Amino acid sequence: MLVEMKGIVVDFGPVRAVDHVDFTVKPGEIVGLMGENGAGKSTLMNVLAGTFPPNEGEILLDGKRVSLGSAKDAMRLGIRFIHQELNLCDDLTVFENMYLAEELLRGPLLNKKAMAERCAKVFERMQVEIDPCAAVETLQPAEKQMVEIARALLFKSEVIIMDEPTTALSTHEIENLFEIMRQLKAQGVSFIYISHKMPELFEICETYSVLRDGKLVSSGRFSDIDESAVTEMMIGRTLSGEDFEHKPCYARDEVALSVKNLTGAGFRNVSFDLRKGEIIAITGLQGSGRDQLADALFGAEPSSGEVTVNGHPVKSGGTVLQHMHRGIGMVPRSRKERGILNDLSIIDNTSMAYFNTKHRKLLIRPKDEVSRYEREKKALSIKADNPKNPITSLSGGNQQKVILGRWLETDADILIFDNPTQGIDVGTKFEIYHLILRLAESGKAILVFSSEFPEIFKLADKCMVMYLGEVRQTLDRAELTEKNMMYYAIGANLEGIRHG
Amino acid sequence: MVKSAQAHPPKFQIKKLLSEYSYWLSFLILVALAGAMNPNFFRWTNVSNIFVQSAPTGIIALGMMMVICAGQIDISVGAQVAIISGLSIVVLNATSNIWVQLLFCLALGLFIGTFTGALVAKGHMPAMIATLAVQSACRSIINQIGQGGPFTVADKANYETFRMVAAGHISLFGLKIPYPMIMLIAFALLFDLIMQRTKLGKHIYAVGSNETSARLAGVSVDRVKILVFTITGLLCGFAGWLYASRVMAVAASSAGNLFEMDAIAAVAIGGTSMSGGRGKVIGTFLGVLMFKIINNILNLADVPTFLNGAISGGIIIIAVLLQSTQNRKK
Repeated sequence: MLVEMKGIVVDFGPVRAVDHVDFTVKPGEIVGLMGENGAGKSTLMNVLAGTFPPNEGEILLDGKRVSLGSAKDAMRLGIRFIHQELNLCDDLTVFENMYLAEELLRGPLLNKKAMAERCAKVFERMQVEIDPCAAVETLQPAEKQMVEIARALLFKSEVIIMDEPTTALSTHEIENLFEIMRQLKAQGVSFIYISHKMPELFEICETYSVLRDGKLVSSGRFSDIDESAVTEMMIGRTLSGEDFEHKPCYARDEVALSVKNLTGAGFRNVSFDLRKGEIIAITGLQGSGRDQLADALFGAEPSSGEVTVNGHPVKSGGTVLQHMHRGIGMVPRSRKERGILNDLSIIDNTSMAYFNTKHRKLLIRPKDEVSRYEREKKALSIKADNPKNPITSLSGGNQQKVILGRWLETDADILIFDNPTQGIDVGTKFEIYHLILRLAESGKAILVFSSEFPEIFKLADKCMVMYLGEVRQTLDRAELTEKNMMYYAIGANLEGIRHG
Repeated sequence: MVKSAQAHPPKFQIKKLLSEYSYWLSFLILVALAGAMNPNFFRWTNVSNIFVQSAPTGIIALGMMMVICAGQIDISVGAQVAIISGLSIVVLNATSNIWVQLLFCLALGLFIGTFTGALVAKGHMPAMIATLAVQSACRSIINQIGQGGPFTVADKANYETFRMVAAGHISLFGLKIPYPMIMLIAFALLFDLIMQRTKLGKHIYAVGSNETSARLAGVSVDRVKILVFTITGLLCGFAGWLYASRVMAVAASSAGNLFEMDAIAAVAIGGTSMSGGRGKVIGTFLGVLMFKIINNILNLADVPTFLNGAISGGIIIIAVLLQSTQNRKK
């Protein structure tokens, strides 16, 4: 199906989110849609998926003008939007999810057999092995992604919009997803692929469109451009001179955090020493125990083992608050679900950790709160007009900066960054990297949990690689290559796969 | 000032003011309406009377607002008032001291509230179920102790002293200011301070907004959950004492009946988000008064008192509907 969007304009109150954008998808084409957060990608796609109508402009499908009044209209015409947060009901089975609200009936009753059979047929076409009768909660994140795609195919979708589909997937699963996309592409299905991850975009997409501030700044073929060109188009300036190749090491001699044989749910026998000014990255695929280790180091999950903070042995386990009093801070992963307090103002979000560790007086003085916020705003160049507005009024990158500010205000000696640049635009990413390096220079001890090699390479003095709950290898900076990291992350050294 | 007005178009500001302070608008409209229907509405006796009548539920509504802001609900407050006010009269008869009686009320409220809070926070029970169970238990116990008859103050001297808690007043600038009015206003000011200017207040909003984020920012979520119920229990203790003094004969089966409805309704019209995280004490305070003024208007319009429950139900529905449509527009 040929999709043409012409002169699309979307206004949210006084804000123009999408400004006269033309966007075309040919049958069997995979288009990479790029842009910083807030550039208008999701808004444009929501228009195509019928979530809301545009203020101006028209949509043509195979040359015919259509009006998409609702998501249902769009689905009927063969357009599906797979959102970043998967919309599946965990307690229902796979086929019940796929047919949700469009169930097949036999008389007044559900025709379960027919539904399960048709789902099985779609999985067969995709060449994935998922039992249609399994409960969704038993599936891996990647399988859930497959279910969403299968659901799109089940209803004969010809255009599938995917918003950051690989956030929860491992490299192997991403490969598998791409394989399926290529097969479907050969069958004439087209994809719109929204992502921040350059290597994936360059691998799977042929054409690209870049949005900035609601306007289409460029479109063309990936074969004609390179990563730095894309970055430049997205942020409107070059990041050249951003040399992380010769990143200095700020590690001092004093050990800030020493962990011996730490064991908890999902990981075991983790030992390491983190020195002041040192940045250690901890990586691993989904299910490697990386997330659980991050939470345990901050007291959000129970654990046992020997932990020494600044030379004082402390009891492992303990509450988050106890860890904060020991001088540990954590910027959690999944900002929306675990970081921001969405009903609270920007100011209160900034001060929340400070209240818990440092605030001693009976009453809170609004003036102190404002000056705390102003300090962080300046240090982190947070862009916000009224700090009394809820934090949700900010873009993702600025929200994350507020969360960073929250922890900087506690003056913690040891900072844990758990996937700190998840879903954040390139410009802000670089700002956060520089900030982390500055913190290390000032003597903070830093742990970065991440799965993105470019990020790890920009920051880490050392990288610990986890596989199935254990740290399998610690790579020095000299040994730190993407190939090396993957080799240990997929457990190749254990499975007897030869290096390289 | 001039600068900031230029920075924002004035239309935008009015819209924001309207959505943020909508309860002020509804309050003013109601007052105007009541004033038009009842020429005596603005007389001091009527105004102070509105405060006196709203005091017990109003004090409880302040706690309810905290509970709802923390993402919880407490439907046991009416039954708590019943058991506390009933037993308080037994205590008064035994000790002849209203201060000992007050202490008893607070202690019992503290106990019931903390117990409920522990069920919710430590026992991981949904607040609706935990407080439903507590409600049923409290009402049944006081019914059993009362055995059908009302609790009354035996001694004449005690009767006169205790009566003055609700009926007494101080004189200021030639105006008679009843004690319950002072209590309600004082509690409202105190709670506004707690919600806006203390750690506890910020923690309550944080927990109601997103428990996981709050926990990861170092908030002791369980402690906050228990505390909101404890504080509501304490307020029920105080309100129970005041209520007993106002009615002087506490009927076990009907005392505090539907107080939970009135309190939740006041919180709802006061603009507090029913899913937690947002709300202001001043909104709840005006909500309490609005609720009474509506009753006042209905009385004047000869609406039978039996229909009061239907009215409060209707008010909750309208207030929450308005809230959810407004949220959807955002």
